[in-house]
Amino acid sequence: MKFRKVSALLLAGAMCAATVVGCGKTSSSSGAGSNDATKAAEDEEITATITVWSPAEDQSVDNGEWLQKMCEKFNDEHPKWNLTFKYGTCSEGDAGKTVSADPSASADVYMYANDQTQTLIDAGAIAKLGGSALETVKKNNSEAMLKTVSIGDDVYGVPFTGNTWFLFYNKDIFTEDDVKNLDTMLAKGKVAFQLTNSWYIGGFYFGNGCSAFGADGTDESAGIDLTGDKATEVTKYLVDLAANPNFVNDADSSGITGFNDGTVGAFFSGSWDMSNIKIDKSKVGVVAAPTYTLNGEEKQIKAFAGSKAIGVNPNCKYPQVAVALALYLGSDDAQISHYESRGIIPCNIGAAANEKVASDEMANAQNDTMNNKSVMQPTFKGMSNWWTPAENMGKSIVAGETTKDNAADKTAEFNEGANNGVVK
Amino acid sequence: MKKISTGAKIGKKTTNVFVHILLAVLAFIWVLPILFIIMVSFKSDQGLQIRTLLPDAWLQSAKAAHPDMFANVTRGFIPTLDNYKKLFTDTTNVFNFPQMFVNTLIISIFSCIISAFFVLSVSYVMSRMRFKMRKPFMNVALILGMFPGFMSMIAVYYILKSIGLTEGAMIRVALIMVYSGGSGLGFYIAKGFFDTIPKSIDEAAYIDGATRWQVFTKVTIPLSKPIIVYTVLQSFMAPWLDFIFAKVICRANKEYYTVSVGLWNMLEKEYIYSWFNCFAAGAVVISIPIIILFMVMQKFYREGVSGAVKG
Repeated sequence: MKFRKVSALLLAGAMCAATVVGCGKTSSSSGAGSNDATKAAEDEEITATITVWSPAEDQSVDNGEWLQKMCEKFNDEHPKWNLTFKYGTCSEGDAGKTVSADPSASADVYMYANDQTQTLIDAGAIAKLGGSALETVKKNNSEAMLKTVSIGDDVYGVPFTGNTWFLFYNKDIFTEDDVKNLDTMLAKGKVAFQLTNSWYIGGFYFGNGCSAFGADGTDESAGIDLTGDKATEVTKYLVDLAANPNFVNDADSSGITGFNDGTVGAFFSGSWDMSNIKIDKSKVGVVAAPTYTLNGEEKQIKAFAGSKAIGVNPNCKYPQVAVALALYLGSDDAQISHYESRGIIPCNIGAAANEKVASDEMANAQNDTMNNKSVMQPTFKGMSNWWTPAENMGKSIVAGETTKDNAADKTAEFNEGANNGVVK
Repeated sequence: MKKISTGAKIGKKTTNVFVHILLAVLAFIWVLPILFIIMVSFKSDQGLQIRTLLPDAWLQSAKAAHPDMFANVTRGFIPTLDNYKKLFTDTTNVFNFPQMFVNTLIISIFSCIISAFFVLSVSYVMSRMRFKMRKPFMNVALILGMFPGFMSMIAVYYILKSIGLTEGAMIRVALIMVYSGGSGLGFYIAKGFFDTIPKSIDEAAYIDGATRWQVFTKVTIPLSKPIIVYTVLQSFMAPWLDFIFAKVICRANKEYYTVSVGLWNMLEKEYIYSWFNCFAAGAVVISIPIIILFMVMQKFYREGVSGAVKG
């Protein structure tokens, strides 16, 4: 039995050694948190390697190597800084997990989806913006957009595009007037909606006065409000909707597939699906989600609005360079160039006003949704309880388990689950 | 007993019929996912909506023969090789599959050689030599083997990071180390096989002046072809198919992705519509090296210890 003791000691020793070495690296480079990109810093001679993570498309040759070009330009614009860039691949949706797993060995500047803000903060993987950087972000963005990258009064990222969903429709089937109301559309042609996807189904509830964390999504103590008649009425509407022969539940991308082969006249999705549309683009209309008629009243479907933003790692060696680079990648020029190379819709007020962007139907639909027809997707921890109950609600409506008779009970169950994480 | 009664014959036949039907159903269920992925890899329509797995020509002829069948399916898919073409030629955009393939091949071949050697050596030692730690070691190995490997993945990551193996080209070395390092613990099956080789053969070799190493390489190894084939296949397939460690260690370093990480990425929201067919094609392609390896090695399965000891 001696052996076991010895081996246990050895193993423990090895682990400790690894931890100590690991920690040494972390502590030496952290603590630079919210330094500003001040003018003074810019005069300093700096030679550094900056690691940047972005989705693969931003770096691909086919899309004109947007990221590489921007970084080189950034280097040229700062003659005192001699920067070498190292690129990594990490999609915005993965950044929360990948960066948080080991912030000290992650990129200095990375792109993330705003729903991961809290995760990144908890891991000490994202720096608060301050000083002139904060001013620039505040100046460039609409109130709604700014809120998506803030927790309380603190701003954490430089937003570069909105992240929401809206309506794609076939102009041969629906007119511009039709797409203002979902029920008018359903009377004329087939409409696909992702009722079993929790990112989408909430749109109906939020349209009728239900809310997640207060009216503007910033009041953590308010919780998710799906109580009373206002929610039950929506459930009843959705039961009718699911039974409508012209309604198609969009699961496993049946919406886009049907849209391409003509069996579906309209579907709800985001900007990423534009390139997947194979029918003649002149026939494709894009607008913000329509209203729906609930007991004779028109209610606006309100999509979750999030954003994709550029974050700065507080563990980086040269925070002034990293912050300046993040601002540069989120600047008007960079956003327009991003739009031209990949169709990423700019969100800066200045960039959105650019004539090319302003004449783009999808850009307008997205920005209209973001600014007027959406609720901010909350970034609180409690939000994690939303997804499974919401999905189950959609599934039970589509499966016919939820009927008009038990709508009140099922909605109460949904409310309970979304607030307390009880999944039945 | 010359005649079997007809009753027993019928009874036997009905049992056989039932057994065969059951086996056919089970075989169908078992093969279906494989068939599914192969069909998808030849699919021409993009997206993961699958209306039918039948090529159009087959479907049309089936419909001509039985008009009632497939009433709600108007057309099958037009078989195409484009997915495979895209997989291997569309390398400058999002996924560089050939590079992932080469990465995985390098890692697997090295891991395979190293870990097969480890496993066989440890097995030989455990089977032939007697020393004080032998029993305790076998017990520890048995207990350690019960824990899943990924339990230690974060610890492994930090240890590798602290010695600088998680950056750049060292990632490949790190992965080879991860896959081959602990493989010696999986000695039980090979040891069991070595135990069946009579010790008298070894002793004969010792009398002729052979060293332990010579006995191992010249006597034991040639007599253990089936178990070597098994060990080599296992040690090749483990790194070839592993996902968790590759994902943890590669992180954002796209140029060192292995096929499993790459294939997993193809199923992300942004890519799934245009890459789903290629994912299926990739899944078919990665099975090819395993098949080749198996076909090369399977002839050794037949040769065993038969006739080694006479009398």
